[in-house]
Amino acid sequence: MNKTNTWMAMIAVAVMGFSTSAMANSGGAHLEKAQIDVTSQEQLRRGLTVFTDVCMGCHSAKYITYSGLMLYPELGLSREAVDELRGEKSLMSGMISDLTPADAIESYGKAPPDLSLIVPGRRGGADYVYSLLTGFEHDPHNKIPDGNYNRVYPGHRIAMPDPLSWLDHDPSETEELEQQANDVAAFLAFIGDPHQNERRAIGCWVVAFLILLTLVLWRLKVEVWKDVKH
Amino acid sequence: MIEQMMKTKLFAWIDRRTGAEAIIKSQLTEYPAPKNLNYMWNFGSLALLMLVLQIVTGIFLVMYYKPSAEATFGGFTVAFDSVERIMRDINFGWLIRYMHAVGASMFFFVVYLHMGRGMYYGSFKEPRELLWIIGVVILLIMQGAAFFGYLLPWGQMSFWGATVITNLFGAIPVLGDFITQLLVGGFAIGDPTLNRFFSLHYLFPLLLVAIVGGHVHALHVVHSNNPEGIDLHKPEEMIPFHPYYTIKDAFGVAFFLTIYAYIVFFNPQFAGYFIEVDNYVPANNLSTPAHIAPVWYLTPWYTILRSFESKLIGVLAMGGSLAILFVLPFLCKSAVRSARFRPVYKIMVIMFFVDVIILGYCGHSAPTPVLKIVGQISTAYYFLFFVALPFLPKFEKTKPVPEGI
Ligand code: HEC
Ligand code: HEM
Repeated sequence: MNKTNTWMAMIAVAVMGFSTSAMANSGGAHLEKAQIDVTSQEQLRRGLTVFTDVCMGCHSAKYITYSGLMLYPELGLSREAVDELRGEKSLMSGMISDLTPADAIESYGKAPPDLSLIVPGRRGGADYVYSLLTGFEHDPHNKIPDGNYNRVYPGHRIAMPDPLSWLDHDPSETEELEQQANDVAAFLAFIGDPHQNERRAIGCWVVAFLILLTLVLWRLKVEVWKDVKH
Repeated sequence: MIEQMMKTKLFAWIDRRTGAEAIIKSQLTEYPAPKNLNYMWNFGSLALLMLVLQIVTGIFLVMYYKPSAEATFGGFTVAFDSVERIMRDINFGWLIRYMHAVGASMFFFVVYLHMGRGMYYGSFKEPRELLWIIGVVILLIMQGAAFFGYLLPWGQMSFWGATVITNLFGAIPVLGDFITQLLVGGFAIGDPTLNRFFSLHYLFPLLLVAIVGGHVHALHVVHSNNPEGIDLHKPEEMIPFHPYYTIKDAFGVAFFLTIYAYIVFFNPQFAGYFIEVDNYVPANNLSTPAHIAPVWYLTPWYTILRSFESKLIGVLAMGGSLAILFVLPFLCKSAVRSARFRPVYKIMVIMFFVDVIILGYCGHSAPTPVLKIVGQISTAYYFLFFVALPFLPKFEKTKPVPEGI
């Protein structure tokens, strides 16, 4: 058994080595922690509103369909609410911005990325999105014009005009803006993997069952092996 | 249970036409196994489990996956869209896809430990040389299969990883460009590449099934080694595979599945180690990611490649670092198998394991001058380990080997 312990120790060291390097790897600017709860219907619905009212002026989320807004229990919108949001668009259509990529390039110099996968697709995930939205500042070196300088964006020069008007906002609005940034970060975290809550819920049962199975098979193994001397 | 089954009339009917009873007896119920195998001997059955799981989940993925790099709205492609459809719209598609993507990493984890076990206890030595060599073939085909599979979702890392690796072949003199174009199906990674990688990604695991069959057959001819690394002759040193090792393997499988399920359900990206962050960004041939690195299980070899200024030498070293595994049984000349009785080899082989982990770390991280030197030193030790082996018996004082167990 001693020898097995040596192996276990070696494996543990290897796994730990890799996971600590994962943390060291996030790199870049310091990120604020986003206050999100992807199981909270209230927060997700507020986030959806920020998304449709503000972000969808430029961004799409093509993997989320209007019918999805009704079908995902986390959002659970009514048919009427969805009809109001989608206007002329079909129920099966993704949430596509009216701003065409070509027009966006003309106005901002860059096509705004689709936001369906922005949280899994950025180091820092929801924290990054939150920090980005609340990261518009004056360039300390006075090189990048106001509104294009972002504390956390790689290279700091961002083509997105400060969507929540964070820069130079009135201090009385801070709480409200932070709330909006958190809510939309929560919504984006949810749509990045819309089955995540279901996955974790099922996972508890699966893992619990497997732990039980492991225990039973372990006792059975000990029982079968008890007459083997070594 | 098996005994009961073998007494039925139906079994007798089948047995007369297949000889099933003799096979079951010789391979399972009366197949003799050393009684002192430790838990490091569980990884073979776990590797088999992972192979089966990859194939089963893979077959379901193929039902919905579309290998096409044709552009769709928003900078995506048909292939990327089809993977997202699996993740979002297909019932339990997310489960199948995460099982497959996490499964690839778990498969390598298990196989690397399985190989490490073989190196530590000298399982590659006479008479198991061929068994080891078949194992190295399995490793190479697995690496190929995983490399082809990683292109399929057509994310940024899929695209740029494939670009970097296929370009390597260009360094080969004379034939290089030809080989690259053959692999890529043109002059740059594109739709033809995706189609041939998809075809090969389906083929390679099926090849593995055949080769794994050969691996197990070879094992059942020469039988398992054991932690003492000695030949066992006495009947009291052996126990039948069934029920002793079937139950022990079943326990191992349940334990392993618990960890696997935990990752699949609660942490499938595994901090970007199992599914890289950049692979959620659709492939874009105009924007190179800040840092291109393969998935963790290929990073040790990637470091060896990057340790040389000359691309050709890098490619040769990387190929050599894998090829040298084939000749390990002929480099390691000591008559004693297990590291338990070889004090110098024991230190060397443990250092080798640590060395491979360091190589993996260097290959995964963004390159820095310090890491480059660390990588070069580790590369040097990787080869030094193998080169030193033939000389080891000249000065290593092995401990006395037990008569039996
Ligand atoms: C006026 C148009 C516009 C609006 C409104 C807008 N964005 Fe953007 N956004 C852009 C553009 C353009 C880019 C590309 C920026 C770049 O890469 O320089 C972008 C990029 C982004 C990025 C990616 C940054 C990166 O790391 O590449 C995120 C995340 C983002 N926007 C979130 C949001 C959110 C959340 C909202 C709503 C609160 C929003 N945007 C509203 C135009 C807009
Ligand atoms: C040796 C066994 C196998 C390994 C190591 C392996 C590995 C991989 C990897 C690493 C990916 C990319 C995962 C991702 O990030 O999404 C992948 C994708 C895929 N594989 Fe496999 N695979 C194996 C067997 C198979 C088999 C046998 C099939 C088909 C019968 C298959 C079908 C697919 C499909 C359709 C995809 C694309 C979907 C996706 O990206 O999730 N795989 N594989």
